[in-house]
Amino acid sequence: MIKKFPYIFASSLLFLSGIILWQLGHEEKVDFSADVKPILNKHCISCHGGVKKNGGLSFLFEEEAKSATESGVPAILPGNAKKSEMIKRLHEKDPELRMPYDRPPLSEKEIETLSKWIDQGAEWGSHWAYSPVMAPENNSKKLEASFGNKEEGDFVKNGIDSFIMDRLAELNLTPSPEADPATLARRLSLDLTGLPLSQDLRKDYLNGKISYSDLVDTLLDQETYGEKWASWWLDLARYADTKGYERDVSRKIWAYRDWVIKAFNQDMPFDQFTVEQLAGDLLPNPSLDQLTATAFHRNTMNNDEGGTEDEEFRVAAVMDRTNTTFEVWQSTTIACVQCHSHPYDPFKHDEYFQLMAFFNNTRDEDTHGEEPKLKFYEEEEAKKVASIKEWAEKNASGADAQYFEDFLLYQEPKYHAHNCEDFDKGELIDTKWLGLWHDGSCYLRNALTGGAPFIYLNYWTGNDGNRLTIRKDGPDGEILSQFTLNKTDGRVIKKFPFKPVKGRVDLYLHMENPSLKPEQTSSAINWMAFVPALPGEGPQQKALSETFDELLNTATSTVPILIENPDFMKRETHVFERGNWLLHGDRVGPNTPSSLGAWKEEWPQNRLGLAYWLTDKENPLTARTVVNRIWSQLFGRGLVSTIEDMGTQSDPPSHQELLDWLAWRLMNEHNWQLKGLIKDIVISSTYRQSSKSNPHLHEVDPENKFYARGPRFRISAEQVRDQALAVSGLLSKKMYGPSVMPPQPKGVWQTVYNGENWETSEGEDRYRRAIYTFLKRTSPYPSFMTFDAASREVCLVNRTVTNTPLQALVTLNDPVYLETAYYLAKQANTHKGTFRDKLAIAYEHSLGKKPSSSQLDHLEGLFHIALEDFKEDPEAMEDFLVFAEESSEKTAELAAMTVVANAIMNLDEFLTKS
Amino acid sequence: MDRYEKLWQEQLTRNAQVKSRRHFLKECAAGFGGIAMGSLFFSCDSGNPPKGLNLSERDLNPLSPVSPPFSSKVQSVIYLHMAGAPSQLEMFDYKPELQKLHNQACPESLLQGRKFAFIRGQPNLLGPQASFEQVGQSGAWVSDYLPHFKKVADDVAFLKAVHTDQFNHGPAQLFMHTGSPRLGRPSLGSWVTYGLGSDNQNLPGFVVLTSGGKTPDAGKSVWGSGFLPSVYQGVQCRSKGDPVLYIDDPKGMPRDLKKETISTINRINQEEFEDYADPEILARINQYEMAYRMQIEVPEVMDIQNEPQYIHEMYGTQPGEESFANNCLLARKLVEKGVRFVQLFDWGWDAHGTDKSTAIDLGMKDKCTEIDRPMSALLMDLKQRGLLDNTLVVWGGEFGRTPMQENREGKTQSFKGRDHHVDTFTMWLAGGGIKKGASHGLTDEIGFSGVEGKVSVHDIHATILHLLGYDHEKFTFDFQGRPFRLTDVEGELIHPILA
Repeated sequence: MIKKFPYIFASSLLFLSGIILWQLGHEEKVDFSADVKPILNKHCISCHGGVKKNGGLSFLFEEEAKSATESGVPAILPGNAKKSEMIKRLHEKDPELRMPYDRPPLSEKEIETLSKWIDQGAEWGSHWAYSPVMAPENNSKKLEASFGNKEEGDFVKNGIDSFIMDRLAELNLTPSPEADPATLARRLSLDLTGLPLSQDLRKDYLNGKISYSDLVDTLLDQETYGEKWASWWLDLARYADTKGYERDVSRKIWAYRDWVIKAFNQDMPFDQFTVEQLAGDLLPNPSLDQLTATAFHRNTMNNDEGGTEDEEFRVAAVMDRTNTTFEVWQSTTIACVQCHSHPYDPFKHDEYFQLMAFFNNTRDEDTHGEEPKLKFYEEEEAKKVASIKEWAEKNASGADAQYFEDFLLYQEPKYHAHNCEDFDKGELIDTKWLGLWHDGSCYLRNALTGGAPFIYLNYWTGNDGNRLTIRKDGPDGEILSQFTLNKTDGRVIKKFPFKPVKGRVDLYLHMENPSLKPEQTSSAINWMAFVPALPGEGPQQKALSETFDELLNTATSTVPILIENPDFMKRETHVFERGNWLLHGDRVGPNTPSSLGAWKEEWPQNRLGLAYWLTDKENPLTARTVVNRIWSQLFGRGLVSTIEDMGTQSDPPSHQELLDWLAWRLMNEHNWQLKGLIKDIVISSTYRQSSKSNPHLHEVDPENKFYARGPRFRISAEQVRDQALAVSGLLSKKMYGPSVMPPQPKGVWQTVYNGENWETSEGEDRYRRAIYTFLKRTSPYPSFMTFDAASREVCLVNRTVTNTPLQALVTLNDPVYLETAYYLAKQANTHKGTFRDKLAIAYEHSLGKKPSSSQLDHLEGLFHIALEDFKEDPEAMEDFLVFAEESSEKTAELAAMTVVANAIMNLDEFLTKS
Repeated sequence: MDRYEKLWQEQLTRNAQVKSRRHFLKECAAGFGGIAMGSLFFSCDSGNPPKGLNLSERDLNPLSPVSPPFSSKVQSVIYLHMAGAPSQLEMFDYKPELQKLHNQACPESLLQGRKFAFIRGQPNLLGPQASFEQVGQSGAWVSDYLPHFKKVADDVAFLKAVHTDQFNHGPAQLFMHTGSPRLGRPSLGSWVTYGLGSDNQNLPGFVVLTSGGKTPDAGKSVWGSGFLPSVYQGVQCRSKGDPVLYIDDPKGMPRDLKKETISTINRINQEEFEDYADPEILARINQYEMAYRMQIEVPEVMDIQNEPQYIHEMYGTQPGEESFANNCLLARKLVEKGVRFVQLFDWGWDAHGTDKSTAIDLGMKDKCTEIDRPMSALLMDLKQRGLLDNTLVVWGGEFGRTPMQENREGKTQSFKGRDHHVDTFTMWLAGGGIKKGASHGLTDEIGFSGVEGKVSVHDIHATILHLLGYDHEKFTFDFQGRPFRLTDVEGELIHPILA
């Protein structure tokens, strides 16, 4: 087959092409995916694809490619290349007619491939990435091979090595020896926990007290594992502590971050992990944790800028959820399809909106308060919630009983102020809250009150005597409710009697307060809800009703969550013409792209069904995507190197069988548990190789995509800081909770219309792991950004690793790194021995191995120069040791030691996972 | 086409992504001494790189300069963005007819189907608050809010009918600077720095200076690098505190000792390289040297104390303050030193008339006074130094303002204000490749819409890239499986303002 010939041979050794063609002509069947599709993608599809269909021709879908073009005749006539217009046009001499138009012609070989393919019947095929992962034929053989044969030596420790070895042998390469134990242990620890190995574990491993496999298990069991892998997931989830856009004020969503850490530490199977995040609210009797998980898609941005239309940004958030879901689980940029059919991949314009329909029916509406938010009641209050639930269940059944607990947890369904319209003497204050003036009015149209006897208002006001009258239909309609809003102490949720009405009604709201000045706002109403009475009767019912109202007004910590719209609030989803949210096309229902696996009858037509579809073993992309990205975390590149994209435009996999083997094992052997997958990888000899290279290896494989050496790349932004804190002994072990604000330079935060400040944390909160650092989207922690961290505005699959002078300035001059250098120096200084011995200790603490004598010579040289400097200038020494707690600590030795510690923490090998 | 593609291959496949850097290793020679220009600490011989490694400049330094595919005079860009959106009707777009209609209700026909950020119902028209005259040989209309600018009006080309499609600050600023109203795209400055590198390796290639006390509404994303490597993002330089974050040595650290520290780090790294043969280590050595040089050069260029008195008078600068004037002077100093892209943001132009500071005839007039002298001085200063011909200066906001008096949420306002307006606003360009004294585009008699020579944000981007030697349709970066460009699928060159 052609694909067996490396491209370079085929193109450079012309005389061979005759032989190849001869082979093709006589026996070889042209493979659509491997041979034809790449040619179409390279030369044809930019004019005959999803965006442009010049001449009425597109090569994106089979039916399009084979149907009549504008000329009336199909371009491809299966079985007859000679008569096919497509082939004729490739041979054409007239530059006006020859294809590709105004570009270099196809090579003879390419034309021949296309001709053969048409002659053989022009069979369409599907791309490997869109075919389900099959059980590997030789799976058992690969596992048995773990004992290795002579030829492969000791290299093959598990199936991975066998696949890697096959490719290396083809290229006449041999794998590298195992990395030295200290280097390997550091690599493993950074990869599994994001932190260097503890002294004790390191000793145990280096002394042979525990095996490599034990070390892997021990590290996978540490809670720091969850923190490290959560950092990866939070980039995908675009988790941040602020809402984004102009005002970018903070949001409390850290409970989601904690949920992710715990899920990793519990080794929650990835299918469950998926279901709970995408649709935890739709599971039967969802737990608080399952509701919290849905905050995954509440990490979308929320626009508070005055004058913005909430619906526009609600739609933007829904589209972001659609796009993110496909980027995260399917390695597919579906975003292109919102304006037109995908230019390269087999997704149609309408299919985007069918996907969007899954996400278009949640309660959140880009409101300032980010409702719905799940309330986390303290223990005492939680008991009260439980007693109300119990009471409701005793006195009512089913959904009617469940309503009361749900309303206490997240206050839905409700109508937001922005649902009001037709303001007269009134306004939507800052386009957010309902503010009527004296004699002012507005409508809430088409509201369903469900016959409720109460209206609950979330509001605040600085004035007494605001009399609100709510009438049916209009100014002359029946009075449904009438009450006075008096001065409040901040926001309150208050209930008022409401005359039960059936069906949908237009409500007319009229405010009176003659004491107000003209155009003065009476009150600011955030939302309204129509709430039934707690079922049952008697004093207990009355007491519990009061408790219900008290609980609603209890301040608790919260997290924004997804809650599906009740039927009466369901939104229709339409195709947006050319991606414009105001131009509605046909109405669509929820559906998944047909090219990515079938939909099973038993799945509900909602987000839950979508989550089942994504984690079904028939879905071709989910398991491959996870495997590829975990591999990339460990090796610095994916088996498909474009880790954000797996499809017709992605790079071909370096080891497709290995990718599929791992994906199959993840689903079937490891039951979707990632620790098993990670262990498979790190236990392999492939992973354990030394990362030393040489000019020959670089020439043959500059990117190390065949893995004849171990991984070597700069550690992540989070790890740069965590590692420095860890080796200096400053790192706090505290987990979870609100994000913290370690020191950052003054004046970095300067956001418009936002009164929030960076309040530097005290005590151990200064030294927490980076994952707990407050992340403001429009102004992230500066030193993290310098090291390529994400600002988390949108999903980020792949952090580009850069190498810049600004990074050097951070680790050389940022007080955070001077403080760590000081504490590392202080530790080393307490050891007995010569200066040289102490420097060796500082190095060993940092790198987990002993320095070479040459390295020590360099460090010692620096130490003595620094020592002289500080001895000569005690004032400079005093200034430099700014972190010393007592003046007795301020010695030239310690200052010089600090300079060296700072140098050690700037070494390439310190900043690199080797 | 072929020529372009060839150049393209040569220049830009050498992108700075670490992963692709490794493509370029072949043999030593030019080696690391040649690349670490004027290496402080080593020469190629002192280290001992294994034979067989050859690295391109961009491998070791992603900001090394690259020639664009087409020849271009323009070396640097200075972009002056008035964040909040200034009123074209009080600066450049003279509308006597609007004066006559002052205080009359805006015709319904103009409002039908339209949405404004704050205007509700039927607002009144607001006549120009400034008086205008035609100046210079070009006869450009300039208001009395900008007396100094009248002297340089002949050097600029006006775009009188720019339009956008975003009427909120954040999205509109993003659109103006990244070509997309949503987050995640690289900024203009990032594209330019990616495409051209920078001529001065001791300074960041893309510098951002802010004034007005706030960063722009859209935050730092307006100078973000999006999907381009982060090395191409704007570096915010500050006139207060460290000019660049962490540029100052810690207190008590002698300069020579810092040099010795870096030298030690690099010696050990050099040995590491001999052991591992990973070119990333060489890149790191190079970056540490650059960091050291930046520590010297950045504070130097950011210090305006030593500028002569006449320069201070010309710009109206006050050393030590954070001001637009200081930033204009700094912009000149930076391009003089070879910085590729200098982006200024001046916050405080959102003249809604909700209070005195945002009244068109009060606060906004003061803002005009604040920028008038320095922006005019910048053009004159660049000119007198012979820099104007190879510097492109761009001025504008993120959208325009309405000819109507704002009536926020239906209320009458006691101060004169104008709401956000996307239909038309004025921008100007000056310098390399720009036709002096040109004016392109016309608006209707009340300045509500463009009627002739309308240009879009994408058109402006296309024109800026063109002036820098790039065809905007071919200047792409592959991301998420497809090529992205600054101008998405739009953008036409604005020929009438090209020299």
